[in-house]
Amino acid sequence: MAIAIGWSAGGGGFGVAWAPTWDLRLAFELDGLAALYGVLAAGIGTLVFLYASAYVPRHLAHQERSRREEARLHGAMVLFLVSMLGLVMAQDLIALFVFWDLTAVASWLLVGYDRHNRDARLSALMALLVTAVSAVLMLVGILMLRAEYGTVQLPELFAVAQESTTVTVAVALIAIAALAKSAQVPFHFWLPRAMAAPTPVSAYLHSAAMVAAGVFLLSRIHPLIQLDARLLDGLIVIGLTSMAVGGLLALGSRGLKRILAYSTISQYGYVVTMLGIGGAAGAAGACFYVLGHALAKSALFMTAGAVTEATGAKALGEVGGLARRMPLLAAGSGAAAAGIAALPLTIGFFKDELFFKAALDRGNVLGALAVLGAALTFAYMARFWTGIFLGAPKGELRPVERRLIWPVALLGALVVVGGLVVGPFADLARDAAVVTQRGAVELEAAYHLDARAENLMAIGAYALGFALFASGRLLGAPLSVFSRLGHDLGPERAYNASIRGLNRLSNRLHDIEVRDLRGRLIAVVVPGAGLVALGVAVTPTDGAYRTGALPAADVPLVVALAVCALAALAVPFCRRHLLIALALSGVGFALATTYSLMGAPDVALVAVLIETIFALLFVGVFALLPRDVLRREARLRAPRSRKLRDAAIATASGVVTSLVVWSAFSRPVPREGMSDRLSALAPEAHGKDIVTVILADFRGLDTLVEITVVAVAMIAVSLLLRGKLRG
Amino acid sequence: MSLIAAPLLLLWPGAIVLALLDGRRRGPGALAVAILAAVFVLLAVLLAAVVARGPQELVAGGWAPDVGIRLRVDALGAVFAVLSCGVLLASLLQAVITGIHARATPSLTLFMALGLTGLFLTGDIFSFYVFFELAMICAYALTAAGGGDRRVRAAFTFAVVNLLGSFLFLIGIGALYRATGTLEMAAVAQQAATIDPNTGLLIAVTFFVAFGIKLGLFPFHFWLPSVYLAVAPHVAAMFAGALANIGTYGLLRFGGAILPAELELSSAALIAIGALSIAYGALQAIARRDTREVLAYSSIGHAGYVLIALGIGGPVGIGAAVIFSIANALNKTLLFLGSELRGRLAATAFLVGVLSVAGVPPTAGFFGKAALFDAGIDAGSITTVTLLFVGGALSFVYLFQIYQHDRWRPRAEREREMPTGAASPGQRGVALAVAAIVVLLGLWPEPLLAIGEQAAQEITATTPGRAEP
Repeated sequence: MAIAIGWSAGGGGFGVAWAPTWDLRLAFELDGLAALYGVLAAGIGTLVFLYASAYVPRHLAHQERSRREEARLHGAMVLFLVSMLGLVMAQDLIALFVFWDLTAVASWLLVGYDRHNRDARLSALMALLVTAVSAVLMLVGILMLRAEYGTVQLPELFAVAQESTTVTVAVALIAIAALAKSAQVPFHFWLPRAMAAPTPVSAYLHSAAMVAAGVFLLSRIHPLIQLDARLLDGLIVIGLTSMAVGGLLALGSRGLKRILAYSTISQYGYVVTMLGIGGAAGAAGACFYVLGHALAKSALFMTAGAVTEATGAKALGEVGGLARRMPLLAAGSGAAAAGIAALPLTIGFFKDELFFKAALDRGNVLGALAVLGAALTFAYMARFWTGIFLGAPKGELRPVERRLIWPVALLGALVVVGGLVVGPFADLARDAAVVTQRGAVELEAAYHLDARAENLMAIGAYALGFALFASGRLLGAPLSVFSRLGHDLGPERAYNASIRGLNRLSNRLHDIEVRDLRGRLIAVVVPGAGLVALGVAVTPTDGAYRTGALPAADVPLVVALAVCALAALAVPFCRRHLLIALALSGVGFALATTYSLMGAPDVALVAVLIETIFALLFVGVFALLPRDVLRREARLRAPRSRKLRDAAIATASGVVTSLVVWSAFSRPVPREGMSDRLSALAPEAHGKDIVTVILADFRGLDTLVEITVVAVAMIAVSLLLRGKLRG
Repeated sequence: MSLIAAPLLLLWPGAIVLALLDGRRRGPGALAVAILAAVFVLLAVLLAAVVARGPQELVAGGWAPDVGIRLRVDALGAVFAVLSCGVLLASLLQAVITGIHARATPSLTLFMALGLTGLFLTGDIFSFYVFFELAMICAYALTAAGGGDRRVRAAFTFAVVNLLGSFLFLIGIGALYRATGTLEMAAVAQQAATIDPNTGLLIAVTFFVAFGIKLGLFPFHFWLPSVYLAVAPHVAAMFAGALANIGTYGLLRFGGAILPAELELSSAALIAIGALSIAYGALQAIARRDTREVLAYSSIGHAGYVLIALGIGGPVGIGAAVIFSIANALNKTLLFLGSELRGRLAATAFLVGVLSVAGVPPTAGFFGKAALFDAGIDAGSITTVTLLFVGGALSFVYLFQIYQHDRWRPRAEREREMPTGAASPGQRGVALAVAAIVVLLGLWPEPLLAIGEQAAQEITATTPGRAEP
């Protein structure tokens, strides 16, 4: 209500800086388009809330669930309503995206409301994946526009955007998200599954809000879509396909809510087609269509819920003859069904008139297709309503709250009022179309008792529709073939197959995942070596590896290094543990010797100390280990193939490590004289030699941290020694 | 600037004192939390100073910058320090509330905070290494804390694989010192322009492997799932939210700031490895039915995103890497801390984490994802954008699959696997506080985006006029 008043008062808007670094603004404006969709979301939302207040307690009682869960549904519905209102008013595409995704999240929570039910969980996941993953494409599109024009503010974009491949691709990506949201082919399959949601959710999201968001977005960015005729044509193709597929499936289905879901797909197909036709006629038709459809469709969903509550029936054939027993419901839903079927004296009549007019503007073929679509609509709506309310009464009738009935009656009345006094509705739609079209739009909705094309088309559609409805039995077989074909080859199957396939692939990958320590080390060493080799391959190696001269004075050094290398080579050939330990300490002592030969006696001394400690430690540990364990371990033999593999890996990693070091040592020594400078500073640091002052003073912080490392290691070891790090 | 020294001077004695106390008691636990909170505030002040006045410096011992160790904090270091310390604070708080089973946990956490803070604040490569070792050894010990064969075994694997990485890193540092004659990061970055491309690239590769292991990048990640699964949730949160930052920060610092030419040269390889990591992590995660296992594998995928952003490079790519990493660290902390909490509020907090990882607004993760896409689009790379899209789609599948599996199935079906009761108010409080930060950064992303931009500009500006290799 406030939205309607606000809009009639001239709209308005505001904008504040949001994230200046990215030039984002929280800019909202209540323009005609926002007013139309906002009124729908809030108005129908209010009725649905009333309906839900009676429906949900019953729903929970059927499933023996706690009344406390009611709050969860209302919470998610409110979240949805708020995001929807934000969405329709946002002028900043990123802000718009935020609300867009929030509607998807709210819808996920709502479709999965009966979470104990596996089917509901899978349906919720499907609805979310289809709408939220496609939304990522929209984000990409938005960011592409931002990269191109440096802004995501819609008014600025409309002013600067010009036809270009980038813009076309970006807009196409956004359009895909919109089409997925409006359940257009080939993304339509989530909507029938989403009927797992409690009925009030369907009455709201799947008639007036969630699915409407898609066509809303198309209308919102229509000035950008208009830049490329191919996009418009694409919309027409998708719209017509959805119209046909949805209509045929609706005609062939039995489930009450399922029929309505397919009908929604088909009806939004009309809207998308009109948006594709574009121009003033298309824009006006699309906006009016959304309005007329939303009123009628939510009434029908609520009807389905009330019928199920009253009789327990969920599909055609399980129910009949309700017209006498529930007259008010019959009347309300009759008006709504007539509205969808576009009978005169309902608002629906004008929505089809505008549709026919727009279609005719684009030629007779489109006009003919429009009539066929309308005929399908007429047929399935007739089947739906007569199937429930006419015929022989079936089943027992349980009393239902009046709150389940009168929202339907109210909406039905609105549909009729719209058929009699179309003015205010037409104004609302026209103001929305003005935004879409960025220019004046004429929207003329009135009865003309003459033989103009639209009237003839409408009559043709009724006649053809009635023929289809009357030959229902005959059509049964081909329709079921069509729906089986869709089931076997359609996108839903592809979706299910890919989810299953991904899970299977995941399990297979998990089975081959490396789990032992050796494998984990190999997984580091081998790719690491590969990357170094790649590095050598892609850089010029000319002069990168120098050998230099070997002065006679260095011969002892070379000998010591050779001893070191030999000792290292001996390690893998040793079998007994003691020998391995001795060979390893041989490596260490040989290294200590090289330090001493390089003029670093203090380093050599430290190395000798450490090697001695480690050698003793090893021997001590071996003495403590049970003898038979050591003996058994020493007898273990690896298969030859593994030995070869390990040797190859070890060699490769040794070689590449050497390459890294060799390459660095082939560079000239930089910053000569640094050591002299440090030595000169030694007295200032109260030290006598350079090593001491570096360790204790210049780089004392490092030493301190290293001491801390040792301390932490000791904490860990002491805890381990107590048995189990339990303290 | 004593602002730099203050956090270290508070942590060091604090950790030592706590090492002498029994950390299972309330008192020492509370003391450790109080110290971490104080350090967090100090680091936040430091970050504010860096944002307002640019990088801050301090030379240890008051020596000339090329003699002593230079501590230098820029936006990147400061923000990672604040982030990591905050994550440790939240995790430790959660641990204290839940009840600590190992007496050394508070002390080890503080030592880890010391190591992490030190390595983010230092401007010296070797002191980076020693702080890094300190953080790592605490991580090994924390893995084994709480006891049990499984943890000790995981700790052993963790230590051995990561020591191999540290060893490679040390070789790289040695080689870099030999090639440039200095250990000071800024000076090395200047000298690095003159290094022979072969030497430079090989050094860069050793660094890459070392940080790849820390970050848990495919194929260096094999230690990661076993460790994340073996440890308590609060320890996993510390690892995923704080410790893994070493890998990200290291790649950004050593790749982006110190060896940018090498980074640029390896762009294609980085994107390829990143793609493998994303695909591998996501595919592994899809069929896992244990929340923490999913999170562990998703971490591998997220490491891939960081790499892709780095591969794109430039201010936009590096900025995206920073923004994404911050969001990712917060997400992982939230999810690990919330992984075993039950009850409606806890579930809400957990859901915020799931949405954020999926990049659904209004969360920090949304801007992380948007920044990545923005970088890919800015680079004009269709491959990258496609890759990000596919990776994102897969993450939707595994995140919502596991969420529904874990939180939506009727109690009767899952009691067997998840015996935990409703969370205590304190546990919920911590998870909700982290969730609130995630949402807040989604609603008001300016700080996140601005710090990303500043960090990226500082990093890319340190090496003006570098010639193409």
